[in-house]
Amino acid sequence: MVSPEILAAIDALQVAYVRALDRFDMAAWLGCFEDGAGSYVCTTRENDEQDLPLALMMDDSPARLIDRTRFIDEVWAGTFEEYTTRHFIQRLDCAATAPGRYRVESNFMVVYTTDQRNSEILCAGLYVDDIIVTGTDARFTSKRAVLDTITTPRYLVYPV
Amino acid sequence: MANSPSGVDFHWPEKFSEIPKEAFHRDDIYRAELERIFYGPEWHLVAHVAEIPEPGDFKTLDVGEAPLLILRGDDGAVRVFNNSCPHRGTQLATSGRGNAPDITCPYHRWNFNNRGELVAAPGIERFPKDFRKQDYGMRELRSEMRHGLVFATCDTETVDLDSFLGDGDDYLFKLLGEGAELRLLGYQKVVFATNWKEYGDNEGYHAPLLHRAFSLLKWQGGVGTQCVTERGHKLIVAELGATRNDGFLDDPSLVEFLDENAPKRSIVVNLFPMTVLTRHLDVINIRFSFPRSADETEVHYAYFAPADGDEEMYRHRLRQASNLLGPSGLISLEDGAVFNRLHRGSNTLGTVAFQKGADEEMTAPCFVEQNDEASNLIKWERYREIMGFQRG
Repeated sequence: MVSPEILAAIDALQVAYVRALDRFDMAAWLGCFEDGAGSYVCTTRENDEQDLPLALMMDDSPARLIDRTRFIDEVWAGTFEEYTTRHFIQRLDCAATAPGRYRVESNFMVVYTTDQRNSEILCAGLYVDDIIVTGTDARFTSKRAVLDTITTPRYLVYPV
Repeated sequence: MANSPSGVDFHWPEKFSEIPKEAFHRDDIYRAELERIFYGPEWHLVAHVAEIPEPGDFKTLDVGEAPLLILRGDDGAVRVFNNSCPHRGTQLATSGRGNAPDITCPYHRWNFNNRGELVAAPGIERFPKDFRKQDYGMRELRSEMRHGLVFATCDTETVDLDSFLGDGDDYLFKLLGEGAELRLLGYQKVVFATNWKEYGDNEGYHAPLLHRAFSLLKWQGGVGTQCVTERGHKLIVAELGATRNDGFLDDPSLVEFLDENAPKRSIVVNLFPMTVLTRHLDVINIRFSFPRSADETEVHYAYFAPADGDEEMYRHRLRQASNLLGPSGLISLEDGAVFNRLHRGSNTLGTVAFQKGADEEMTAPCFVEQNDEASNLIKWERYREIMGFQRG
């Protein structure tokens, strides 16, 4: 049984993650990962179920996480079509894997809006997260976003 | 009154370098393209054998708007079928990829073996006397294989694949690792809000200008050429030197060549009408693609690696494939943005024009310079002829 205090810390991390992405704050997004040890992988259920290791984004080291924020903020700026996102997350399962470490699975859905007009679903899927909790502070050591949306309705600029 | 064999009333500009914007938007033109190009005398790349290595393995893909089922039989042969029951037309396979010892249509339980032959049909004793099982196998398309690539055509009369590919055959051989056995790494699938011809109009002019990563990494291409064949294929090869990171990336391994056995070059094969294959750095990529309407293009980026590489090299290819070259790739994302913006912007009157390297005397086959855009005009000329659009 995971304590309410631990669940509160984990939920606060999920909220911080949503806040960072929906406010385009890539430094805050980076801050959701454990210093020097975090990884982020975004893939599809199709790849996952067929044991195909390819991902849509594979930031398997802290250096890769930093480079992704640099491309979004510095390299791609001015080329892509702006869009806003709203992430919705629902925690399904949480289990301790070691002292202070937890495996958390959550549904997610991302709504995106372009041209200040149409709001549609960008993708939906499952987060499979490994989280370390120290006191009231929680961080991702590993975050996997597995998209049910095998074919996305547009290219993804930001992580989900 | 229609002025072309395609039945579409449409006038093409007199000037060689100009393309009418209406061609990217009009539904009657798109419908004629389906008939004359996608269901016409062209060959279409539908699979690589590494996607379906075992008997019973299948994948599904559309050509034009027609759903196909590419299936490896228990005899080891790869065949291409309509993904449609020959009885009433029910879709047979519903997933993108899988394995099926046999195929059963759910509607009336007609059962086919994985060679496409009809095995059983419930109530067959009540069928007309002239019903023969051999007439009701899954409808097979004409197909040919080359370098592990599976091509299909809806046209039983068209030229053979060798004639279709022409010089493209040698480029494909080199791009795919010169006979190496390949392993499928996975897929990235996306829809671009663009016309299929705008997706296919990417060219050499834009590369160092749109993609800022090239200049930030001081990543200059060396000697390169673009060849355009009579069938409208663009064949591109370019030397590619090492990057100079200068601290820009925290993880420069992502943009390194590590395969010491492979020449330091990029190869891009853009097959008419719209299939693109690339070899960049240590990544082999096939972009299976098809139009969903005049306004949408779906692309399945499939990535492959040599099957016999060591674990470190395999991991390197996987990281490059996942991060560098797809719809969200670090040096390719801007392409998708431009595809969409082209289509929004071309919904205006008039023409677009290709300028760099354009010359009215150009005829296929020919070579154009590496960073020119004129190679597309040869492809467009072939398109215009197929569609029967007259100039002026």
